[in-house]
Amino acid sequence: MEDIPLKLVITGHVDHGKSTLIGRLLFDTGSIPEDKIAEIRQICSALGKEFEFGYILDNLEEERDQGITIDTTQIFFTSKKRPYVIIDAPGHVEFIKNMITGASQADAAVIIIDAEEGVREQTKRHAFILGMLGIRKVIVLINKMDRVGYDQKRFTSVKKAFMDFLNEIGLDAVHSIPISASNGDNVATKSASISWYNGPTFLEALDSFDVQSTFQKAPIRFVVQDIYNFSRRIIVGKVVSGTIRQNDTVTVLPSGEKTQVRSLEEYLKNPDFAETGKCIGITTADKVFCDRGYVFSDPPDMPAVTRQFKANIFWMDTIPGKKGLPIIFRCSTQEIYSKITAIHTVINSSSLELMGLDMDEIKNREVAQVTITTENPVIIEPYTKTPELGRFVLVRDNVSAGGIITEVLL
Amino acid sequence: MIVIFAIDALEYNLVEQFNCTYLKQNYYGKTNISEFSEPRTMVLWGSFMTGKNLEAEILAKGDKEMWNTRIDRNRTFFSRFTHPSVIDLPGYNYDLREHERERELLKQYFDVGTPVEKELVKKEYNARAFEFHQKIKNEFITALGQNHDLILGYFSIADVIGHLNFSNSTLMRMIYRDLDEIAGAIPVPYIVLSDHGMEPLGAFGDHSRYGFWSSSEQDLGNPKITDFFEIMVSKNNSQGLQGDHS
Repeated sequence: MEDIPLKLVITGHVDHGKSTLIGRLLFDTGSIPEDKIAEIRQICSALGKEFEFGYILDNLEEERDQGITIDTTQIFFTSKKRPYVIIDAPGHVEFIKNMITGASQADAAVIIIDAEEGVREQTKRHAFILGMLGIRKVIVLINKMDRVGYDQKRFTSVKKAFMDFLNEIGLDAVHSIPISASNGDNVATKSASISWYNGPTFLEALDSFDVQSTFQKAPIRFVVQDIYNFSRRIIVGKVVSGTIRQNDTVTVLPSGEKTQVRSLEEYLKNPDFAETGKCIGITTADKVFCDRGYVFSDPPDMPAVTRQFKANIFWMDTIPGKKGLPIIFRCSTQEIYSKITAIHTVINSSSLELMGLDMDEIKNREVAQVTITTENPVIIEPYTKTPELGRFVLVRDNVSAGGIITEVLL
Repeated sequence: MIVIFAIDALEYNLVEQFNCTYLKQNYYGKTNISEFSEPRTMVLWGSFMTGKNLEAEILAKGDKEMWNTRIDRNRTFFSRFTHPSVIDLPGYNYDLREHERERELLKQYFDVGTPVEKELVKKEYNARAFEFHQKIKNEFITALGQNHDLILGYFSIADVIGHLNFSNSTLMRMIYRDLDEIAGAIPVPYIVLSDHGMEPLGAFGDHSRYGFWSSSEQDLGNPKITDFFEIMVSKNNSQGLQGDHS
């Protein structure tokens, strides 16, 4: 059993069955106590209603409202392979803000579509936003197959319409699965009613995501937080990608000096390696120049050292962000003056409506595609490659915006 | 057709918390019942239908007889309508036996000694309330399909269940969801009105000192419950004018 949870976001048109799907997942994975299910069934019966899996989600929201067991934005369940966290935001604004500021990042995204209604405008907007947030791989669920008689032709037609759109915006559907969340078809168990489908169930598709090795096989990125000169010089920082080992050859950025890791230092321990997420001290074979904000990397796959990049930002300040005005760029432990030099598109985060192209300012709660130029070179990467070096905030008196880097301009 | 969805003890804060969009409609708020010494169901609905504060008149009947109040149609705004359907409204035509049994069971719950006995009483109390709710719901839905110029459906489920189960948030949420679905099924503009809300008293629920209103057409501000007499008369007049015009 893996221990790193996969963070999942489920999007789709409001009536296409998201609540029912989450309720069904929690039920099928035994994540809800049986007596709670029995209670909900009993109340449904007393009210003359059919039991619906959406009621399970209602019940979770209830517990969350009271702060008993459920975190404000997260729902937990576990498959045989690993734990999962469903990131549940009350609306677009909260979701975009959480994602872009790193309050909650999704490893995988699911788009749910009603087989009967097909692709709606809201479905497309959600897909578009997922793309803006740096998510490239999605699972597409064509839901309510029971309402179309489990018809393969209907599935193929809805799937094709949506795939065409996903291709246009550069998203890749790793699986397209016909399901009925209310009946449980292909959610956690294979459906006998959809015998023409040979692919994985939704849960199997989720389990096929490889989170752990993605983290560990990634190139080394060690971000320097501080330097202590004791009897030896210890460089303290955080491994934000890959695994750093004793004797590894590393390049120090932005200077480009090369050296070797002589030792890894941890209080009362002698570790040989440090994995992603670990804060640790290191000593080097050579006395390289180093300061807070520097990044150790392993050649040839290294982050960019540049003054300009494209990004998607979420503005969260009542004072609008204006093109050309100085603002502090803070990324990992780097902090430097910068300017927004172009505002390519602006989108209302609530309605997802396009507000304009080539604009001069970004208002509160708007999402924008921008180009940012920094005063001096910064060490960055696209968010999709190394989130810690691809995510930043823009600061005036307080944090005015959060953003993710989409393209490095050299 | 004018529809009033009258809900005993519909609590403003729970409507907000459970985001009951059909109960909220475009405009919603709290009613002002501060002129009454206590938020009493019979007094409030009596005052609502007559447009007059009937607290003194109803309390003068005494604790027991108060529940048998039957206000004459001519004193109510229902008399201004030609073919109204009023379903189970306290002080007018509500099911005396059913509501009396509810009150008996509520009293019995607090009188019996052991937790097991209490659970048995509560089970019967809840079951009756749900069964009666189904009956009223069916009558209301049937009336919506008939040719009435006024339909008033009174629903007591939030009050009855809330008194003994207010801390059971799963139950309360599902009741509010059901009421919201009923509101969503009303095919014409409607007004939602409660006599008072409900607040926690330990694990139980007690009447709060404000009611709830909502409308799809008009911001009523912070109305008194007696203001609805004139609101309904005025709506009926404009309904008549529209009818004349057509």
